[in-house]
Amino acid sequence: MSQQPQLVRSKLPISGRIVMFFIRHIQHAMGSMGELWRNPVSSLMTMAVLGVSLSLPAALQVLVKNAETITQSWNSAAEISLFIDEGRSERSIQSLISRISAYSEVSAVSYIDRDKALEEFQRLSGFGEALAYLDENPLPAVITVTPSIKYASPNGARELLKKLELEPEVSFGRLDIEWLERLQAVVRLLERTVMAIAALLVLAVVLVIGNTIRLAIMNRRTEIEVMKLVGATESFIQRPFLYTGIWFGVIGGILAWVIINLLVWYLDGALASLLGLYGSTLEMQSLTLVELGELILLASFLGWLGSYLSVRQHLRAIEPS
Amino acid sequence: MIRFEQVSKVYPGGQKALTDVSFHLKRGEMAFLTGHSGAGKSTLLKLITVIERANAGRVAINGHDIANIRPKDVPFLRRDIGMIFQNHHLLMDRSVFDNIALPLVIEGFALHEIKKRVLAALDMVGLYGKERHYPIMLSGGEQQRVGIARAIVNKPPLLLADEPTGNLDPKLSMDILRLFETFNDAGTTVLIATHDLGLIARMRYRTLTLKQGRILGGDELASTHTTASAFGQ
Repeated sequence: MSQQPQLVRSKLPISGRIVMFFIRHIQHAMGSMGELWRNPVSSLMTMAVLGVSLSLPAALQVLVKNAETITQSWNSAAEISLFIDEGRSERSIQSLISRISAYSEVSAVSYIDRDKALEEFQRLSGFGEALAYLDENPLPAVITVTPSIKYASPNGARELLKKLELEPEVSFGRLDIEWLERLQAVVRLLERTVMAIAALLVLAVVLVIGNTIRLAIMNRRTEIEVMKLVGATESFIQRPFLYTGIWFGVIGGILAWVIINLLVWYLDGALASLLGLYGSTLEMQSLTLVELGELILLASFLGWLGSYLSVRQHLRAIEPS
Repeated sequence: MIRFEQVSKVYPGGQKALTDVSFHLKRGEMAFLTGHSGAGKSTLLKLITVIERANAGRVAINGHDIANIRPKDVPFLRRDIGMIFQNHHLLMDRSVFDNIALPLVIEGFALHEIKKRVLAALDMVGLYGKERHYPIMLSGGEQQRVGIARAIVNKPPLLLADEPTGNLDPKLSMDILRLFETFNDAGTTVLIATHDLGLIARMRYRTLTLKQGRILGGDELASTHTTASAFGQ
């Protein structure tokens, strides 16, 4: 008894074991699909719950995506105003303009000289009369710089502003991005909210699948006992349940995709007329094929996770007696 | 094949199921395990199949000390033990074929091999041609034989039977026991737990008698007659 013989784990040769490993997996995957098919009502109920739960985060994703395209078109509205030192000659200003135009970060430059600035001020401010009492024009010349798309974001524009302020002729520069930053803060808040809601719904999906699998395990209690008695390993017993969870996820994901497309189709008409009033021709985007793939992948992972957690907890508890 | 050395088992409630049980069942032997209900028969079988573990003493099955077997290796040990139950533990929603094939499927045999072995096992228990039936369509004796076919289909070196004839009339019981004898002739070690003393009396095999958790008498010498008198029948 001192030298203990090794337990024989398998009576099959290694090649046969590898082949059978894959065959078993396919059989279990197909078997659990068949199991769902045989109980269509309860399976469909679960899948519908999953589809609806998953469609909400996916819908929010669509919303964020569309909001991003809209805000991106607003981003380019950022403009930098450069105020020129008093007493610079017209020639040096012209050379500054040509230098700035050569910047790769800049897409357009426009120049307002001191006379034009005064004229504009008189017209817009209503202090025209008062200005007449001044001996000389107090306004500086202004160069308006529109950054290229790459530098249109608040950070990029600020970077560009710093660079422009290094030019000797520039007294100081101003970047009108407050409203842009506010908009971006709102968008960020929306994104956070979406993430939080999505996380909660994802949790709900895991719990729903976990509970469904728990019921399935309870229903097959005697079968599991018998399998344990005749030498089935834990992984063998849990595999069909894990595949069931994955199938739930896959079909729930597809359902969510269908729901999203219906939703987009339903909203598109209303949105088009709204945007039409603003003279925009933006079209509402749905999920792309890649995103559909990601959705199904995520859903099947959630299905696997939910059933894995359930199986871990409940399969152990069933022991033959 | 089965070696118990001063094995004791106390259940969590404090109930003493087995006390200081020692015996050795050699490879190729056939023996009966008997005693009143509650004498510890089921506990002894549970210790062999590692459904329960002993509190004291050593249990060795097929050369493996149970104490050294980790929980995740228990399934591999159980594959060497064919188990037959009084209530046969068949899966009612699966055909006879699928029921018998279960141990082979678990071990990962290929389908053609499974077919061959299942039909051979069915033939052995005299149910050839009923593989497409469901257990519910069979009589009690036939169901028991399906259970036996499942136990022997992967040719385990050890066969355990817990009251295999519990619900059967004497003639059917005898048929079942003859079946066990043929497996024993083929080299399988067989241990049958039963309280059917009439059955034991008709066959001359070694008998282990349990009374209140202890093995009675000089177990090596125990014969059918001493067993009967020990029960006072």
